[in-house]
Amino acid sequence: MAQLSLRGVRKNFKNTEVLRGIDLEIHDRELVVFVGPSGCGKSTLLRLIAGLDTITEGEFILNGKSMLNVPPSKRDIAMVFQSYALYPHMNVYDNMAFGAKLMGLSKDEVQKRIAETAETLQLQALLERKPRELSGGQRQRVAIGRALVRKPAVFLLDEPLSNLDAALRSEVRLEIAKLHNNIGGTMIYVTHDQVEAMTLADRIVVLRDGVIEQVGTPRELYETPANAFVGTFIGSPRMSLLKTTREGNRFGVEGSGSVLLPDAPETGAEVTLGIRPDAMSLAPEGSEEGFEAEFEYAEYLGNDAYVYARLGNGTRVSLQGDTKLSPHRPGDKVRLLVDPAEIHYFDSETGRSFRQ
Amino acid sequence: MPSTTTNGIEPKPISRARLRLSGRGMWITFLLVPPMVVMALFVIYPILSALAYAFYDWQGLARGEFVGFANFKKVLFQEPFASTTWNAFKHNIYVFFALMIIQNGLGFILAYALWRDLPGARFHRIAVFLPVVLSTVIIGYVWKLFFHPIFGAVNQLLEAIGLGALATPWLGDADTALNALIFVNAWAWVGFPTLVFLAGLQRIPSEILDAARMETDSELTLIRKVVWPLIAPSATVCFVLLFIGSFNWFELPYIMVGLDGSPYGNTDVLGLYFYRTAFGNQSAGIQDFGMGSALAVLMFLFIAVFATAWTIYLRKREIEV
Repeated sequence: MAQLSLRGVRKNFKNTEVLRGIDLEIHDRELVVFVGPSGCGKSTLLRLIAGLDTITEGEFILNGKSMLNVPPSKRDIAMVFQSYALYPHMNVYDNMAFGAKLMGLSKDEVQKRIAETAETLQLQALLERKPRELSGGQRQRVAIGRALVRKPAVFLLDEPLSNLDAALRSEVRLEIAKLHNNIGGTMIYVTHDQVEAMTLADRIVVLRDGVIEQVGTPRELYETPANAFVGTFIGSPRMSLLKTTREGNRFGVEGSGSVLLPDAPETGAEVTLGIRPDAMSLAPEGSEEGFEAEFEYAEYLGNDAYVYARLGNGTRVSLQGDTKLSPHRPGDKVRLLVDPAEIHYFDSETGRSFRQ
Repeated sequence: MPSTTTNGIEPKPISRARLRLSGRGMWITFLLVPPMVVMALFVIYPILSALAYAFYDWQGLARGEFVGFANFKKVLFQEPFASTTWNAFKHNIYVFFALMIIQNGLGFILAYALWRDLPGARFHRIAVFLPVVLSTVIIGYVWKLFFHPIFGAVNQLLEAIGLGALATPWLGDADTALNALIFVNAWAWVGFPTLVFLAGLQRIPSEILDAARMETDSELTLIRKVVWPLIAPSATVCFVLLFIGSFNWFELPYIMVGLDGSPYGNTDVLGLYFYRTAFGNQSAGIQDFGMGSALAVLMFLFIAVFATAWTIYLRKREIEV
């Protein structure tokens, strides 16, 4: 059982404001992912929840109790660190037993829990080993095991996959998802990788410059981004942002002509169109529709192909192309068609979505 | 082998030309030979000759005949030498344990406090280490003045704060003299273990400490179970160097209480006793190179054997961080 609520949380390091008013509710059994570019405050927020740093202003409530004056070890929260942070002088068993023993559990209980955990994470053969004798993936499992043994109300994971190679990463990602289903605890997961966020999260919290930009399910974030930042941060390749000037329902890009978008919502005159690669395509030869652009290059990925082109005002856009590679050469003039139903309209000044 | 090629190719049979030193080899030789000569002349030769001297009878500076282990027997078992030897040795042991607690113990506590970045840590980091760079002669002389029974700052301070009853001739009282010396040594040298421990503490990855703080809020548990094992290499350095220093202790007692270990041998240690015996002293009367050498050899062996054994033991408990 775990219900977390953060209210107006601020954090300053000396004169630097790292978090500028965070309000967030996290429900029981939820897997919430904090995502954002480096320096956005996501790790700081995690450390505040853990109690490793103190909250400058605001309130953090866990299961109805204020945590402001509760030391980290008494919060019923366990954390998996980016570097795993295993105790190098203890073997795997002792690494897992250390915290459990300090919780005041009996020796038998500690032993039982470690046996269970070791089975879940396939660590039985490694219990006598020291951390330096383990591979990266094994250390990772021990670090998770150390958290599991304590059976905490909340698990915190700080970029747990960033030290693993690409192949192992997707494997462990799957294991974490399975683990969350099995143990059903509340998990908070920090990453800068939007793929990890999309695949794991029940809800994603997008942070930038110490502020929450949007909270929602992966689908909500992808389909209805609250602003241009969230739009470009979620989804790969990135959403293209086209600065346009609106006249009636015609949206013009400087040097690239204009398109008619009859279903456009109420907006101001300066509108930024957010268009994902799959909402844009190359017009057939000889077409007069769409934006005029200059072909730059194409990427062939087997099941997919992406075309990169440059608009008259210098903006580079990406679009899903035909896997039967287009015969264009760099510098060729092309025309780009957009799918009006899939376009996001953002305020050019504030970046905010007009559909919200 | 300065004449072999540096590219790892098997050298050809040595020809006359190959014996000549190459430019690189010449530089290496040029740089290595002078320090090696100095080392051999002033370190290795004296050690070996002291070893040899210990087995001869000496008349002043004239070497007499070979006497086997007679000098060793004298300093270890024959009175009045034996009781002086054991008395001095006992004091060395006392000094070692006392300094282990005061100097290394306080050093660790200071290092921990500095590491936690308490207010003023920057100033204290320098202040604690400052006496280490002072000359022992100056430290000894100044503290001798501080301990002066009448004019000394220590007694005057005690009187000033109303604790005049505690004032005592610190260096002249059999009960306090050795402890006073130990105090001064700890005061002067505490910066060294502090620095070594601090360096060790700063090497601990912060995430490991965070991980430990997630599991315990007791500072003591954190220190005992996590911090202390992780700075084992620092402890090895501090312990072994203190061990060697305690049994070689000479300068500070020599400056503060003189060669006799006054009062009445209450501060006598092996270093002083060796010096008196080998080079003579007005009050001691005797001067015996053979016995002095025997003492030096015994001290060397004792320190070498125990320091090595202890180092091996301490190394074993160290781990890679």
